[in-house]
Amino acid sequence: MNTKAGPVNIGIKILFTLLYGLPILRIVQTSFTPSADVFNAQSNLFFRPTVAAYAANLGPDLLVALRQSVLIATGTTVLVLLVAIPAAYGLARVSGAVATVGLGLLVVLQTLPQTAQIIPLFQILGMWGLLDTLAGVILANAAMLTPFATLLLRPFFRSVPIALEEAGAIDGAGMFRQFFAIALPIARNGILTVMSITFLLAWGEFLYSVRFLLTPANRPLSVLLAMQVSAFGIDWPGLMALAVLTSLPILAVFILTYRLLRDGLTVGAVK
Amino acid sequence: MATMTSDRRGEPRAGRRPDRARRRTTTAQKQSLKRTVFLLPGIALLGLLGIYPLVQLVWMAFHDVTSATINTGPWEWVGLANFTQGFALGETGPAIGRTLVVVAIITVFGMVGGFAAAVALRTSGWWSSALLALMVFVWALPPVVNGSVWKFLLSDNGLVNAILMGLGRSTPVPFLYDTNWALISVSFVGAFAVIPFNALVFRAALLAISPEVFEAAALDGANRWDEVRHIMMPAVRPTSLVLLVLTMVYAFRSFDFIFVMTYGGPGTATNTLPFLGFLQAFARFNFGYGAATSVLAVLVVFVLAVIYARSIRKEES
Repeated sequence: MNTKAGPVNIGIKILFTLLYGLPILRIVQTSFTPSADVFNAQSNLFFRPTVAAYAANLGPDLLVALRQSVLIATGTTVLVLLVAIPAAYGLARVSGAVATVGLGLLVVLQTLPQTAQIIPLFQILGMWGLLDTLAGVILANAAMLTPFATLLLRPFFRSVPIALEEAGAIDGAGMFRQFFAIALPIARNGILTVMSITFLLAWGEFLYSVRFLLTPANRPLSVLLAMQVSAFGIDWPGLMALAVLTSLPILAVFILTYRLLRDGLTVGAVK
Repeated sequence: MATMTSDRRGEPRAGRRPDRARRRTTTAQKQSLKRTVFLLPGIALLGLLGIYPLVQLVWMAFHDVTSATINTGPWEWVGLANFTQGFALGETGPAIGRTLVVVAIITVFGMVGGFAAAVALRTSGWWSSALLALMVFVWALPPVVNGSVWKFLLSDNGLVNAILMGLGRSTPVPFLYDTNWALISVSFVGAFAVIPFNALVFRAALLAISPEVFEAAALDGANRWDEVRHIMMPAVRPTSLVLLVLTMVYAFRSFDFIFVMTYGGPGTATNTLPFLGFLQAFARFNFGYGAATSVLAVLVVFVLAVIYARSIRKEES
């Protein structure tokens, strides 16, 4: 096997390193650049680092947005796990028409454009008095991410040998005991993978939050960022500092779960 | 598991007593039926906030729903007027065309880029490991962050134009202001964001190839390109079919980078079908009209969803 890199191989790696490395470098660099120097070519290399953009961002508003982001992402993750774990287990164990219909519906719901679902949801959440509440956004997020989470988790439960559960049944374990004591621990990696990815997606979600959370004090970080970037006369250092602050929790989750994401993501996506 | 379904569907094998086979089947069926209990929370959540909104979307598409009537009603039945209006005003047709361009660019770059990255990253060493981690991290970043930085990089004074002008261009390329460039730019960022995921999936398929295959090929004098062409490409073929559908779905529904980088503009240049429906509902407050456009978008993904669902079942059986 040619495990050593050839010239074409090295070329591709240089290309991708630049393509994915440069944007990250530019975000961080710009966030430490004085506003006046942003588009000054010379100061791109020799710039005086300043934390002015961070200082301008750090304030009570940012803390409120951070709290909202944490609540939305955590709430969504908990709700998705509560629903998707039993659903994935159920779909791994039932057979026949129930499985076919269930899987078909999940795939359809997973592929629906978010821009389409937001139109009726705006009306339905309004009818239920859930507009401008965290509960409304969390419910909408959970409904959007549960199909994906369930489809990702199901293969992990399918790989739990059914003989183990049958052995448990012989020892007197009921259906729920078999699920909690046998299937859940074995599917642990799958659950952690889904937990991590649901949190990442919920943290970055902004369309529902932009439209459903009308009070500025209710808005999460992703919405602050989306609103600043579509405003006229963008303050780039301020925006990039906000982008860095929004991404720091992502970095933490990423470092903790990188191996799971790398190996677990491909299981459910393809099988 | 597979054993349960084959027991139920398969003919009783010769030598096994039929009644015994049937008894086993009924136990399995009962077990299977009891376990539908686990689906109940999912049915409740997705019924109320997945299926019901979808039905409501279709209902709205056939009614006149504005910001004045959305919460109070009554909604006037207008039949297909919302649909025909979209085509008559020349909004829906061009939006479908733009959506096809976006899907084509994201799918081609997403698949080719993902495969190229997977082949390059298959080699061992710190560079490959670090680059893979970097790409997965960028993939995990919020879309608003990736959209913001690319809006910055593609602006008149941004890094990309600075490089191009350093190479001899006299004027900056209007990546986000020109109607054609804007559509290409948002599609490019969409491809950029999906390549890491596709690379991961392709990489998993490549890692499953047994080393002996490469050793045998090396004995036959295969060069690197032969390995790619005759070993790796056939090995990822089953995976690529599913991934192709997934990438097309992703491309079709993508709106994040349009929202952040162009908000559908300049003019209507980046109004793809899903984003047009969103704007009609939430910028023009004509919810029935937006619903009709969105129903068309849903019909397209429905076709893709059926292909995807069938490929899942086929792979498992």
